Amino acid sequence: MSQKRENWGSKIGVILAVAGSAVGLGNFLRFPVQAATNGGGAFIIPYLIAFLLLGIPLAWMEWTLGRYAGRHNYGTAPSTLHIIFGKKKPWAKHLGSIGLLPPLFIVFYYVFIQSWILAFAYYSLTGKLMEVTAQGSAAVTQFFGDFIMLKTCVGPIPSAIIFFLITFACNMTVLALGVRKGIERVNKICMPILLFLGVLLVIRVLTLPDIGKGLAFMWNPNFSELANPKVWMAAAGQVFFTMSLGMGIIWCYASYLKPKEDLVLSSLTASATNGLAEIIIGGTVVIPIAVIIAGANIEECAKLGTFGLGFQTMPYVFGTLPLGGALQALWFALLFFAGITSAISIIQPLISFCEDDLKFTRKKSVATISTIIFIGSLTAIFGLAAGTVDELDFWGGTFLLVVFGAIQAIIFSFVLGRRKANAPESCADASADPDENEAFALMNEGAQIKLPRFFKPIIQYVCPAYLIILLVSYTFTDGLPLITLSNIPADAKVTFLGSEFSQLYFTWGFRGFMLLLVVLLNIAIAYAWRKGGTAEMGRDAGIHKMPLGKSDEYINRLANKKKKEK
Amino acid sequence: MDAEFTTGGLIFMLTSWAAIIGLCIFCFSKVFKKK
Repeated sequence: MSQKRENWGSKIGVILAVAGSAVGLGNFLRFPVQAATNGGGAFIIPYLIAFLLLGIPLAWMEWTLGRYAGRHNYGTAPSTLHIIFGKKKPWAKHLGSIGLLPPLFIVFYYVFIQSWILAFAYYSLTGKLMEVTAQGSAAVTQFFGDFIMLKTCVGPIPSAIIFFLITFACNMTVLALGVRKGIERVNKICMPILLFLGVLLVIRVLTLPDIGKGLAFMWNPNFSELANPKVWMAAAGQVFFTMSLGMGIIWCYASYLKPKEDLVLSSLTASATNGLAEIIIGGTVVIPIAVIIAGANIEECAKLGTFGLGFQTMPYVFGTLPLGGALQALWFALLFFAGITSAISIIQPLISFCEDDLKFTRKKSVATISTIIFIGSLTAIFGLAAGTVDELDFWGGTFLLVVFGAIQAIIFSFVLGRRKANAPESCADASADPDENEAFALMNEGAQIKLPRFFKPIIQYVCPAYLIILLVSYTFTDGLPLITLSNIPADAKVTFLGSEFSQLYFTWGFRGFMLLLVVLLNIAIAYAWRKGGTAEMGRDAGIHKMPLGKSDEYINRLANKKKKEK
Repeated sequence: MDAEFTTGGLIFMLTSWAAIIGLCIFCFSKVFKKK
């Protein structure tokens, strides 16, 4: 019954893993566009406020909920909520399914996008990308378009499929090695390399002639924009999405913390590392260089979006500079390291669900999740032009993150935050201050730096309110047309697998597919927690007050005592 | 397109760099500090 879970090998391992999860395309491509279009340098004011009031507190809450989960030998939201709310509230585990949906939906397109980076890194190293760059920016755009639309082939097989299979195999191999030997080791190697490559690019960009003109677009403050509520929402949104919050990733990673391991400092360090990559590398490279070399203005950069900037503008811009091929390779290597550390973090919660809730072995869990991801990725690969990636990204990568973030904040503040640390159902350390609530007692266990007092009301009240405002305002501004599909013209057509469909009907049909996944996931959860099932046996009232770090010893002592009594 | 990099822009850039580098130094020094 007491299946032993893995732990992180070191504190720096978990910090780099969480930072690696957070540092991704959003840092290098989304942040600069958001900043440049929302007040330039002045954007940093709402950004830092959101970082303090929303990002850091929510990260601490998610780490704490992860610690709670790990203490009961679980790593995902369904089981954690089931334990928090108790058996009498069977809906709780199904509410927790919302925490598994973002990784499930995101992974269907993320591995495919990650494979584009690998392909472009390969084309940079072989000189192919430089050949295309020499023909002008339109040729780069055409090359990228042909690649992702599966028109570039090696023999009869599209190159994109070959690179997808290689990327997919790499990710799953790392995950099959486990938390310590796979995820931790990869992050310990990739993160320092990523930061080093980023610094090299920053130095190269800052030494370009006329770079001041480019930096002006990114950093000259426009204070009048601060009166615009949309700028504040954009800053809050950027902080939320860049820190991997509301995805269930931190929750899962924190569940592998050792007992009595610090959480407050680790979370803050991971957030700071992500901020470093975002503000320094993201704020220096893309927009300034696109402005001074490609002559792009900010509206054009924003219109190009993340992929246009990353895969069309940047290779072209770097290609026009001396040692262009090397700079292109450097750029795609940076994105590749960011991609792999993020991809494995997105998949791990799904594996944890199979291992901890369904009680599969690691091998069986990896095989099951591999099959699901492979099938799901086909919808992104073949449905990219029909808008499947946009749908998966809206629900999995945007909307549900804010919903789940709000759920986490409410549970932390108003459920665990209302329980005393020494209550019978509390799983806080027995040595915790009895006047403290369970939420903060868990957060402060083993803390290397004490949580500043002024953060408590921010965590308990300001952050949940901030999140609810973010959710409501997003839903009724940008979200509503996307939810109701009112942004799609009635006569718009899309092509999927060679057949033409009405875009509206196709999108609703695809939503039906996503809904089917939600139903299947909830059937799996119900199966895991069926009466008398393996998962149901996982909760043992005896573990609540056992001395931390001595669980095996405690169990053995208890067993010996019972034997003697017999 | 021809905007010049202003002193205000430079201040915002360097201050935010200093803030985030300072936070990283503080955190990592604590992480690597022997108990």
